[in-house]
Amino acid sequence: MNNSTNKENDQFLSTIKSTIGKDIIETNVFFNDFQIIVPSKKIFDVLTKLHINSYFAFDQLIDITAIDYPEKPKRFEVVYLLLSTITNQRLTVKIYVSEGELVQSCVSIFKSANWSEREIWDMFGIFFSGHPDLRRLLTDYGFEGHPLRKDFPLTGRVQVKYDTDQNKVIYEPVNLVQEYRDFDFLSPWERPNNKEMNDTGDKN
Amino acid sequence: MSETEIKPITMNFGPQHPAAHGVLRLVFEMDGEIIKRADPHIGLLHRGTEKLIENKTYLQALPYFDRLDYVSPMNQEHAWSLAVEKVLGIKVPERGQYIRVLFCEIGRILNHILNLTAFAIDVGAMTPLLWGFEEREIMLGFYERASGARFHAAYFRPGGVHQDIPEDLLDDIHKWLKNFPNFINDLETLLTENRIFKQRTVDIGVVSKEDALNLGFSGPPLRASGHAWDLRKDQPYDVYSKMDFDIPIGNSGDCYARYLVRVEEMRQSCKIIEQCINNMPNGIVLANDAKMAPPSRKEMKGSMEALIHHFKLYTEGVHLPEAETYTAVEAPKGEFGVFLVSDGTNKPYRAKLRAPGFQYLAATEHMCKGHMLADSVAVIGSMDLVFGEIDR
Amino acid sequence: MEKGRLRMGVDINENILSSDQDTLLNAAASDIRNKGFIIASADKLFNWARSGSLWPMSFGLACCAVEMMHAAASRYDMDRYGMLFRPSPRQADVMIVAGTLTNKMAPALRRVYDQMAEPRWVVSMGSCANGGGYYHYSYSVVRGCDRIVPVDVYVPGCPPTAEALIYGLLQLQKKIRRTATIAR
Repeated sequence: MNNSTNKENDQFLSTIKSTIGKDIIETNVFFNDFQIIVPSKKIFDVLTKLHINSYFAFDQLIDITAIDYPEKPKRFEVVYLLLSTITNQRLTVKIYVSEGELVQSCVSIFKSANWSEREIWDMFGIFFSGHPDLRRLLTDYGFEGHPLRKDFPLTGRVQVKYDTDQNKVIYEPVNLVQEYRDFDFLSPWERPNNKEMNDTGDKN
Repeated sequence: MSETEIKPITMNFGPQHPAAHGVLRLVFEMDGEIIKRADPHIGLLHRGTEKLIENKTYLQALPYFDRLDYVSPMNQEHAWSLAVEKVLGIKVPERGQYIRVLFCEIGRILNHILNLTAFAIDVGAMTPLLWGFEEREIMLGFYERASGARFHAAYFRPGGVHQDIPEDLLDDIHKWLKNFPNFINDLETLLTENRIFKQRTVDIGVVSKEDALNLGFSGPPLRASGHAWDLRKDQPYDVYSKMDFDIPIGNSGDCYARYLVRVEEMRQSCKIIEQCINNMPNGIVLANDAKMAPPSRKEMKGSMEALIHHFKLYTEGVHLPEAETYTAVEAPKGEFGVFLVSDGTNKPYRAKLRAPGFQYLAATEHMCKGHMLADSVAVIGSMDLVFGEIDR
Repeated sequence: MEKGRLRMGVDINENILSSDQDTLLNAAASDIRNKGFIIASADKLFNWARSGSLWPMSFGLACCAVEMMHAAASRYDMDRYGMLFRPSPRQADVMIVAGTLTNKMAPALRRVYDQMAEPRWVVSMGSCANGGGYYHYSYSVVRGCDRIVPVDVYVPGCPPTAEALIYGLLQLQKKIRRTATIAR
């Protein structure tokens, strides 16, 4: 957790804006975590600038991840988590990507992006151009589909069993003895905001 | 005499192999005995944890974290609990924080014992495993007395820990702790100055400081390469800021340095545990806020409000406000982080688990190139891989 | 059929099941001294030998593998039951499937099982191997390793404690003595 004061927050944000200012779409601060959103075409330049800049010196790309919002026009958000071990700062860089759009790969800046991008390709289907070796990482060898998308079912589409006639392991369509029981607790009276529940006067 | 061209052979290592540390399939391209390329195939333990977490409430998702790095279960639960507490704004009571740090350090020792003794077996020494596992059994006994389960404890919850520790547990840990440094000394007597061990580990799998940072290393491998970075000191959480301990740094970045860093970390963990036991305050262990952390069973059986809170929290769970946050802890293997996206409901919208072993395994090719096949076993052992967290 | 039963020599049948080694050995030794031979049922003898020296193959997949290591380590020593971990399937009798079996790993599991020589047994350890366990509803998990290999003993738990695994292996020994024949 960052223990920086508000003054340092503001200074950090202003320095970022001065370094890559023209590229930023918006900035957010969540609980002392900084987040900047940049256009998806500019991600390579932004990361290069953040990496070589001697004031920040973001020397580690901790992780790349993606989030799927199927109802938004630009469906995916790709999130880059950066860490500077020299200045003890973390930064989140986000881009909005629509389905089928290519993202430039950052392997040449941070080698740790290699497998993270492969995993995003596997799980979401976002293609990274310029990646040396983009193929499936975590899922099965002939797997079809991208599991972490919201329209992919939890139990998947195929299951595996050993067939004694053919003497090998075969794939067959999923057939569950008991379906996953998803209890929906969001009743019409409940509002998902904790604060509003507290305002009705309940004691803590 | 005509020149014959020799094609490199492709060799498959695993997925079932005693030295593969779980399910790893490494495909090597070799020129004779020298490795030219290494291509790890993972996903043989991919269980879909992240997708399952998206369908469970925050408390129901907690036990998945135990099963990620299964040699030191409680450290991963810690990351999730810290993430949920950050978003909700709960403050963990002091006693709960001390108990968490105590069990985190016990988990660190558990992990290092397993890693070092299994590494020793891979390079040929069988005795440390038998000595080390008796110590592990004693520590799993402590886990069981505190939480009820030897292994997957589900003990750290958002708000603190689930229940208070029994009174004599601290005395027993203290008694055990007095004898534990003898085990570390015995281990060092067997391995540290051992000619065979040194020949198998010195200058094997060397990673320079710049490469380690670029490859995403963290934890003992980064420190063994010479970079001083430890989340417990640099971005402290719980009561680590009050603890007095040192961080061992290596300088050569090879397997031997990683071994030495882990041995010294075990000694420092003993120091931290000693301080926890001496400074443990009295008080509650789970946050008092009944809207976020369930009341104790005694209260639940007496009071109507407590019963309602218990029911609502265990069925529906807490509703988190909308936020996106990344929380990391210094797990024994490195930096374990959770990127949590909450959308206001009682289930996480997306939880990405950043496992340290993922990047270490990705760097295998960098580390194994130019070495011989038997050295790759030493490199894999020294990287401390556990496939529960890599494949999730 | 008391008439058809052994009259000469020691009736080894009961003694094996009571596993009182001293009585057995004394009786056998005294028989050899007195009569020069002993009679035992071949089935029972083979089953005693097979169950007393079950060599498991290490097939640790996930968390249960660590409990399996604990069962083989110093406190709950498996070696005193004659169980020695062999890395190669061709030298092993029993395969302990410890951990979650995923779709990607299933063909490898089957291939390793096929490489084992008869007589062979399978112990499914932990709830993930028994029926999918905690990950039952996931898209990439096989809901029980008995979809791939035939299982003899299921050990429940998540993970089963090392003691529970040893209990399961002792139950397997009893099952072998009870149901295996020479023909298997």
